[in-house]
Amino acid sequence: MDITSLKGWEMKERLLKKEISSTEILNAHLDVIDKMEKDLNAFITLDRDGAREAAKRVDEKLQRGESLGALAGLPVGLKDNILTKDLRTTCGSRMLENFNPPYDATVVKKIREADGVILGKTNMDEFAMGGSTETSYYGNTRNPKDLSRVPGGSSGGSAAAVAGHEAPLALGSDTGGSVRQPASFCGIVGMKPTYGIVSRYGVVPMSNSLDQIGVFGRDVKDAHMMLTSVSGYDPLDATSSKKADRDISIEGVDSLKGLRVALPEQYRNLRITGDEKIQERFRETVKVFEDAGAIIDYVSLPSLEYSLETYYIIMSSEVSTNLSRFDGIRFGYRTENYETLDELYTNSRTEAFGEETKRRIMLGTYSLSAGYQTENYKKALRVRTLIKQDYENAFRDHDVILSLTAPMLPFEIDSMINSPVDMYKADLYTVPVNLAGLCAISVPMGDVDGLPVGLQITGPRFGDSTILKAGLGYERVVR
Amino acid sequence: MITRDQIVHIAGMAKLKFTDEELDEFEEKFGQVMGFVEKIKEVDTENVEPTFTINDEEGTMKENGESQTLSREEVLENTVESQYGYFKILKVVE
Amino acid sequence: MAIKTLIGLEIHVELSTEKKMFCNCKNQYGADVNTLVCPVCLGLPGALPVIDKQAVEYALKAGLAFDCQIADTIRMDRKNYFYPDLTKGYQISQSDHPLCSGGYLEIEPEAGPKRITLDRIHIEEDTGKQLHTEDGTSLLDFNRSGVPLVEIVSNPDMNSAEEAKLFLEKLRNTLKYIGISDVRMEEGSLRCDININVVDEEKGVKTSVTEVKNLNSFRSAVKAIEYEEARHMKLLNEAEGNVKETRRWDEVAGETIIMRRKYTADDYRFANEADITPVPVDRNWIEEIRKSLPELPHAKKMRFMEEYSLSEYDAGVLTQSQELAHFFEETLEHVKDAKLLGNWMMGDVLRRLKDEDKDFEDMPISSGDLGELINLVKEEKINNNTGKKVLREMFETGKAPGDIVKEKGLIQISDEGELEKIVMETLNKNPQSIEDFKNGKDRAIGFLVGQIMKATKGKANPQLVNKLLTERIKER
Repeated sequence: MDITSLKGWEMKERLLKKEISSTEILNAHLDVIDKMEKDLNAFITLDRDGAREAAKRVDEKLQRGESLGALAGLPVGLKDNILTKDLRTTCGSRMLENFNPPYDATVVKKIREADGVILGKTNMDEFAMGGSTETSYYGNTRNPKDLSRVPGGSSGGSAAAVAGHEAPLALGSDTGGSVRQPASFCGIVGMKPTYGIVSRYGVVPMSNSLDQIGVFGRDVKDAHMMLTSVSGYDPLDATSSKKADRDISIEGVDSLKGLRVALPEQYRNLRITGDEKIQERFRETVKVFEDAGAIIDYVSLPSLEYSLETYYIIMSSEVSTNLSRFDGIRFGYRTENYETLDELYTNSRTEAFGEETKRRIMLGTYSLSAGYQTENYKKALRVRTLIKQDYENAFRDHDVILSLTAPMLPFEIDSMINSPVDMYKADLYTVPVNLAGLCAISVPMGDVDGLPVGLQITGPRFGDSTILKAGLGYERVVR
Repeated sequence: MITRDQIVHIAGMAKLKFTDEELDEFEEKFGQVMGFVEKIKEVDTENVEPTFTINDEEGTMKENGESQTLSREEVLENTVESQYGYFKILKVVE
Repeated sequence: MAIKTLIGLEIHVELSTEKKMFCNCKNQYGADVNTLVCPVCLGLPGALPVIDKQAVEYALKAGLAFDCQIADTIRMDRKNYFYPDLTKGYQISQSDHPLCSGGYLEIEPEAGPKRITLDRIHIEEDTGKQLHTEDGTSLLDFNRSGVPLVEIVSNPDMNSAEEAKLFLEKLRNTLKYIGISDVRMEEGSLRCDININVVDEEKGVKTSVTEVKNLNSFRSAVKAIEYEEARHMKLLNEAEGNVKETRRWDEVAGETIIMRRKYTADDYRFANEADITPVPVDRNWIEEIRKSLPELPHAKKMRFMEEYSLSEYDAGVLTQSQELAHFFEETLEHVKDAKLLGNWMMGDVLRRLKDEDKDFEDMPISSGDLGELINLVKEEKINNNTGKKVLREMFETGKAPGDIVKEKGLIQISDEGELEKIVMETLNKNPQSIEDFKNGKDRAIGFLVGQIMKATKGKANPQLVNKLLTERIKER
């Protein structure tokens, strides 16, 4: 039996029945890693010793007849912007090449408490800025479905690890699509929960009013299992929601019958060059929903037209201040050539940050500097309110919104990195979800030209159960 | 239109250094941002409140929380230079 | 006077809360280097701030004490700049929505009472500390990084160094009264920056505002203002000097020196603090806090004037500190004579403390003991002069007045019979004085009283002596 081809929940079932041990599960995945890592480069840091110890502890608990946590000995990959105590955390950057965190992120504490086995830290675009995992200081990650192509980004390492069977479960972070888009590119499930459901304490922020931890799994049930292990109210995070302790259940409704689906008018005629086949697949999928009893409707969300611009202004403004603490003084890279304080700061940051990171810091600084503040930043915050309101209106009479996750197929490595404009359009469908703080999940809807394509199911704030159930419903229908 | 001086000023505030070519590129990039600003200016936002935080709930304050204080070793663990328990850098010239 | 000096003060006060502003590290002085630091106040990646309730409570006490309007919600902003003692590269402060706005303090300068209005009181966090060593390095300690501060900004309503000093004293006093800070400028729990310029209203000319920093005491503040006032007067005449500057006060040289300016207000790039969901300020909570405030200096002064029939001046002196006012009222329970007690306290007690350069907090004599002493005098067991001597002894030895009087046998001689004998003896010894008195020289009585005091080692009851002497001398 090839353990690594099972779903995470299937591995857990067998473990609880004592058919396989956590150590066996771990070893099976380490074998895949040994074989695949040189091609995938999904991990920046592997913690084999730590993982073995954790698996051993789970097996001992099992022997003693103790009850196990929700992750029951399953290996988990963590995006390298999630702090792990005493395990190097780099954010894909030279700036943190030797950073050894003295504390665990809250989600990491929860994974340990749930008996998850932390395999290591996965690759990412530097400081989560990018859509292809090509800007990491630690090399590219490749798409397991086609090694000449990108796995998406910025959580490309986590997506590749799960898709490539190096781990059944993984965490990423999603600011404008960084979990959903790689899920779509790698043919797996990726979900960004409602903003405030998962603690951000210990997660290096990119854009703090947009970021949220996201989960990867090979199917919806796995994604659900990962999500419920890490969600919950955290008093250490002042943006954490008190509603985060509510049950995110997937019990009950089995089918898509009666599901009220909305399709944004604004996406109807939206065209990106070369996306005809993808659009066709999407239309087919909508028909699948309809045939299964869902009610399809068109709604207008006029402010969606401005979401990319709004996102870029808010995101870069927040990024610029979030990265100010990287100065080489208390931690991180410090330049060797400086004679003044200004040189210490400037040289350290210039030498250690990659191009895209520096670019976004500049844009954000520009956006926030006086004379621009009132126009740029605050105007964007008002448009954000309109986007939020448009969604609230749509969700009054509808349960979910369907759309593509990405308007393109996974592209070849090095093909897009020099066309940032096209890259920016790649975020089209995902970005408004973060602006409105909603939940959204990307589920695979087969291949186009042999490459994976994802369906994005968006729900209202705290509608995480709804979209998970819709995802399950769809999975059942297409099985 | 943004001038080279303004770009250099921004870089100074961001504590970053660029080559002349890179600075030239920024003129175009900032132009792009200005394009975004122009686009969203089209939107009528009269009487619309800005969204500062997406969380509609009331914030709470801390009282009797658990301390997260680190040991001095942990505090200094990741710095390049320390001395007598302090972080060490060269002198700041006022 | 057409030329006016405009002075505004910006004061930072360290709050004496248990924990820091945004994390749960202890807010403590004098701990070992870098031992009160956590990921939040160290600015480690991923760490997040959460507002401290006690810090807000303390800030609200200040807002209520100065009659400010309190905001509906607490909203925090980021003030962006780079400096080694600022761990995140930004300070979490308040820009557009201060916790308290408006408000005022009343001061009593020579020219008459004046109201100094406030612009705002807001909450923010303090930075770490830098030490400069001789070998050209900077050492950083983050124990104080994240300590809660309130920033109190006055409007430029003060027109002289005297007014500024009175403002600072009143502010400091009130803050001590409400117990939110140690407010010691020398220790850094109270810091003051001055904004000053000069206006010629007639000619419609004015100088640019100068900001003065690095003031270590109220005295330096006064000197710095006087120096700047003079400097600005000159600038006014010289038709230049219209650059907004920041200067540093040099105590040794007695002058201000221009600082190299790194940041203009614009460059702070204020941005909303998106890591903190705004917190509503509950109106009921505000009322609870208001009720919990102790009687404030002004109200106390008014009450002293009314309840104890004290003059405004006396009431003002006796309520200048909470400890002093409390001591006064405690002692009053023993002495039951406000005027008498007031005189003793304002006279001998405060003078002595001033000579020793001590605050009233350091008063070594208990209210019970002072009360006992004053009663001894009131009941004529000892006379006034003896009383003062005993007080001195109490300051020096800490002994109770009754013990001192007993030990030294200082009880006043009030026995008429005994005094009569002494009076007669003295009269017999001084026939010339009797002669002088009969010739209309009243001074003679004084001389004879002096003689009697000498003979009794100062213990004779002066009133009785006078009475007996006057009677007996007439008989001669």
